[in-house]
Amino acid sequence: MAIPDALPFINLAWGDLLFLILSAVLVGSALLVVTLRDIIRCGLAMMVCFAALAGLYVLIGAPLVAAAQVLVYIGAISVLVLFAIMLTQTKAAPARLVFQTQALPAAIAAAILAFLIALTVGATNWNAVSAPIRTGTAILARVLFDQFVLPFEIVSVLLLAAVIGGIFLAKREQDGPA
Amino acid sequence: MTVVGRTWERLTIPGKILAVVIPLGAVLTAGLAILIAVIGGAVVQFLVDNLPLVRFVVAATIVLLMTVPSAFLIIYMEMKVIALMNLRYGPDRVGPFGSALSVVHGLKVLMKEDFTPTGADVPVFTLAPVVVYMSSVMSLLVLPFAPGLFGQDFNIGLLYFFAMGGLTVVGLLMAGWSSFNKYSLLGGLRSAAQVISYEIPLTLSVVGVILLAGTMSLNQIVLGQAGNLFDWYIWRQPLAFVVFFIAVTAEANRTPFDLTEADSEIVAGFATEYSGMRFGFFFFAEYVNVFIASGLTVAVFLGGWNAPFNWPWPVAVGLDPGSLGIGLLLLLTLGPPLAIVVLGLPFYLLNSRIRFWQALIIGFGLFNVIAVAAVLGLAFLSFDWVVGLLWFMGKTYVFVFTFVWMRGTLPRVRIDQLMGFAWKWLLPAALLNLFVTAFAILVLNR
Repeated sequence: MAIPDALPFINLAWGDLLFLILSAVLVGSALLVVTLRDIIRCGLAMMVCFAALAGLYVLIGAPLVAAAQVLVYIGAISVLVLFAIMLTQTKAAPARLVFQTQALPAAIAAAILAFLIALTVGATNWNAVSAPIRTGTAILARVLFDQFVLPFEIVSVLLLAAVIGGIFLAKREQDGPA
Repeated sequence: MTVVGRTWERLTIPGKILAVVIPLGAVLTAGLAILIAVIGGAVVQFLVDNLPLVRFVVAATIVLLMTVPSAFLIIYMEMKVIALMNLRYGPDRVGPFGSALSVVHGLKVLMKEDFTPTGADVPVFTLAPVVVYMSSVMSLLVLPFAPGLFGQDFNIGLLYFFAMGGLTVVGLLMAGWSSFNKYSLLGGLRSAAQVISYEIPLTLSVVGVILLAGTMSLNQIVLGQAGNLFDWYIWRQPLAFVVFFIAVTAEANRTPFDLTEADSEIVAGFATEYSGMRFGFFFFAEYVNVFIASGLTVAVFLGGWNAPFNWPWPVAVGLDPGSLGIGLLLLLTLGPPLAIVVLGLPFYLLNSRIRFWQALIIGFGLFNVIAVAAVLGLAFLSFDWVVGLLWFMGKTYVFVFTFVWMRGTLPRVRIDQLMGFAWKWLLPAALLNLFVTAFAILVLNR
């Protein structure tokens, strides 16, 4: 007797159940990121959010993207964000978030984002989405470096420009007598 | 007073205990036997039907459980080896040669007060050791120990390994921040800077191996090194091996790169405010990381569970115990007592001071040694994975010894030297290795 394919009584497939749980974690932690008062906890909630997103990637058959998500977004970007916060803030700083002052731009940005999402949701044919296919690393590499090599190179150049800009901003202060 | 009551009164205390325990044990054994007879078949069938799931759960449990003894072993090894290097005795009180000291350490850590400092961020403070330990255990899941003996063979094993290993720094940052202590914060910040800097050369150094192996699955990488000593990737990727080993030392926060807990500068870094089992988790995780770092080095560069030479004389043991029939029963019942007497007799006959029962005890000990050796030898010859596991563990502990050796020998580097070394030397070396490997593959294969 194997475990049934779907959850008994409510006939929910295990994959769907996992999807529901992961989405709940994702949305919940994303809400925590913007509502929590302690900025370090916001950062940690952001990591939970990224982890749940990695779980969703695994669920739709893209383990490589999930591993990259954990490696880059949690292991490097979030850690660097937390690093910067810890380096600049102390516990003596005001407990209230000090940067929550730009309500109007935020509202405009949120409205635009909501509009875009609504546009995309409306334009997608939901019934046409096939079952998830597991993507192998070799296939992914072939597509990335064959079909999409130009976008890939453009992104690389963009990142290089960002790195140079960062170094320039950091170096500029030390122009005077050292 | 009845007969039963009077008999009960006459029993000594051990007698009373036995009088309760023996019937209870009999009842429980009988119950277990009935339970197995009634639903055993159904349970086995259920487990067989869900084999992948069962295999995963069992593998995860074993991996979780094996961290504790291997951490104990490495801690004892470190204490003893460094003592040897410092011309000290090292632990010598608990157990033979002090070998039970790690266990006592573990118990001590368990019994200590779990202290949370005032001003600490309690949930973050509590979760930090969990995150650190979890990341260690999860990366252990893909390590191939022997043919067929691994937690899970992922297509992207190596990437998964680095992703999980990188989570350690999250736990260290959490610990450093939530402790509400300047030294802890410094330790956490240092660990973040260090791990992020060394993760890049670490990941880049194995890309050459991935190019050669054509896969990221650790199991396939090990299989690709089958053959003899010279098929190992260390010969084709010597620069990558050096870069990898240095970077993995930094990732595991070991001397000379243990700046996160530099006791002479920042007390114990992120672990300053921790006590009891929470500190124990950090402590264990460090030694599990040493094991993982050694195991990964072995799997990627030194052939994993492959033997360094082809076994010159092929052996196949065609032993079938069932063919002996009733003789097997006789062998099992009469063999051990006979062997004990035969082995003990020479001592009784040759030395008149030894009494017969003492000779029997000696014979019993000798018989046990021989029997265990015979069983292990048979397993070594009959099962592929026993040989593989022995080779893997042997190579891994050579590297564990190297880590301990480095701790006993090398001084700690400065933080600016650490960062400069990663970005100015290791990263270019790893990139050079990647380009040379890719170029060589292009030239030789096309």
